[in-house]
Amino acid sequence: MQQILSAQAQDGMILAKDVEIEGGRILCGKGTTLTTSLIERLIRMEIYNITVEGHPVSVAGEKTLKEELQDMEDRFSRVKDVPPLMYLKKRLMQKLIASRSE
Amino acid sequence: MMESEKQAEFRIALRNCKNLPTLPGIVEKLTRMAEDPDTTTEQMGRVISKDHILAAKLLKLVNSAFYGFPQRISSLSSAIILLGFNVVKSLIISASIFEMMEEQDIELWEHSLGCAVACNVIAKRIGIDEPEEVSTAGLIHDIGKVAIKMELPKEFAQINGLVAEKGISMRQAEKEILGHDHAEAGGWLTKGWNLPQKLVEPIACHHDPRTAKHEQMSSSIIHFSDILIRGMGYCHAADKKVPKLRKRAWQLLNLSPADIDYIVDEVEEKLWDVKGFSLEVNPITENAMGSEEN
Repeated sequence: MQQILSAQAQDGMILAKDVEIEGGRILCGKGTTLTTSLIERLIRMEIYNITVEGHPVSVAGEKTLKEELQDMEDRFSRVKDVPPLMYLKKRLMQKLIASRSE
Repeated sequence: MMESEKQAEFRIALRNCKNLPTLPGIVEKLTRMAEDPDTTTEQMGRVISKDHILAAKLLKLVNSAFYGFPQRISSLSSAIILLGFNVVKSLIISASIFEMMEEQDIELWEHSLGCAVACNVIAKRIGIDEPEEVSTAGLIHDIGKVAIKMELPKEFAQINGLVAEKGISMRQAEKEILGHDHAEAGGWLTKGWNLPQKLVEPIACHHDPRTAKHEQMSSSIIHFSDILIRGMGYCHAADKKVPKLRKRAWQLLNLSPADIDYIVDEVEEKLWDVKGFSLEVNPITENAMGSEEN
């Protein structure tokens, strides 16, 4: 999932998190497919950030998946002989890959 | 000989703490109140509310994902009841330091926030009694790093140089230059603020929970949270590597692969909520919030 500005939202994107308004009420739930009119409504209601499925908006300077995975390898390079941490690394990598695929 | 001189200098520098914010007077007053059995939490809440900015910051902290309460906490007296006086006191003391951290070292700030979130998730999963205390210790576990940076800027630069040059961990470099590491420094600082052992020990022992005399479990939770959150990429540019996991801590935590899966999912989810969390408050809008107990 990716957190984006409502202004970057586009028709067809799917909400990965509930959009809450004041008092914790849910305006539209996780799984909702965005439409142009819904996006306009969000912006009118001054909801500036939303979280959507996948990774639809590319951010300047953002690392590629390959670079992110390489960084993770580097971070875990001192603990290659520690099985629980290798398990942790595997899980984090799986999640990273899943979050970047559409 | 040289070594002990260095160590003594370090202790003295921390004791004098010229550049760190001093203990707010309000803490002394609240501590006296907490010792009096007739004091109500409403009275304590009112004392804190007099400082609107502090009150607003505290409510922001207690309502954040580090504590993960399902309902919104709108008054300081409920915050004291839910979190306990020790946690509220630690937050008052740390609020000014967080501000400095947020301003000067955004990576350390994010690492601390992330660690607090991870501590909360793990403490709840394990089912320990006071998860809020562990989250709080997680939030301030690296306070010794701030102290070294502020009080000993020259040595701090040497430490960073050594990390870059030799590729060793920050902790090893601190030991070489200062004779102590930031965890020990954090322990002295928090002890000096009269925070309880439950918070002091996990901070002092977060690199090696075996050295904790009483709080091995909390120390182990912070130890693993620190590792987890670094693994997720919340770390210092100079000191990126995930540190070794202590065997004793791992045995004590006794986490199964299913526990790890759950913890990773939960922490990742909650990190979305704290992304961009800032203690900056707008005095105008937050005023009403902090003073509702008058």
